[in-house]
Amino acid sequence: MSANALAVSPVAEIATLPDPAAQKAAVAKLGIADQSLTPRHGCKGPGAAAWLESLGLPIPPQPNSWLPVDGGGLIARLGFTEFLVEGPATLIARLASTPRSTGVYPVLRQDVALLLGGARLDELLRQTCNVNFRPLDPAARPVVLTSMVGVGVTAIPEFRNGQPAVRIWCDGSYGHYLWETLLDIAVELGGGAVAPHSFN
Amino acid sequence: MKIMTCPLNGPRPVSEFHYWGEVRPMPDPATASDDTWADYVFNRNGAPGLKKEWWCHTPSNTWFIAERDTEKDVVLKTYFYEGDQ
Repeated sequence: MSANALAVSPVAEIATLPDPAAQKAAVAKLGIADQSLTPRHGCKGPGAAAWLESLGLPIPPQPNSWLPVDGGGLIARLGFTEFLVEGPATLIARLASTPRSTGVYPVLRQDVALLLGGARLDELLRQTCNVNFRPLDPAARPVVLTSMVGVGVTAIPEFRNGQPAVRIWCDGSYGHYLWETLLDIAVELGGGAVAPHSFN
Repeated sequence: MKIMTCPLNGPRPVSEFHYWGEVRPMPDPATASDDTWADYVFNRNGAPGLKKEWWCHTPSNTWFIAERDTEKDVVLKTYFYEGDQ
């Protein structure tokens, strides 16, 4: 199974960007960026943790937590025995091409992956999500599996340039709905679509 | 908003959960009588009371058991299934 980056983002047709000046203004309030083309790999099963560890990856000890990966990227532990790895294309290609051990099963990850951030992020989360993100400490590297505007999502809160941000993954088939809904709210809050590097 | 507590993900609105029916031990199909097997296949206990039920936290696909008083609609406790023993 090919597990390299998607050829086309699930929201490629609608995730158009305004001019750079507008993006700069938007990201201060609430920017929303499409990161779906980041290479990723998913696997699950009773042997998944040991298999990933044998390939040199750090294993988050707690369910619903994540760790950084050498070379950029992350490994998130979703529940007890499922993992999502994002990182350099070489790493993801290696995971895809290495024979899996017993008890390791592939999870197709054709996600839409979004990055939202800005001063008014919490207002958007309060409108769309069941979980109160404000008490969460991004330094503790939590992973939140919840529902956002009716879509099951995986979310990681973090800070970008001192502003609250959240990374979101969901099934790609919900991409248009989630993007359009979140973008509508972001625009109402003075934000809009931005390129991922706008957060750096 | 009703709140249910997932043993893994914690308290969440009940809209994040899916109900999958009462925990019903399956009789041994090799030894059960036809009447016993038919009862297992076709009949459900609709009487209100304290029941053990399958529930799933759908965003994380976490399956667990909820002990619920279906007369009062009160969830007494939730925990992971630990096998048929």
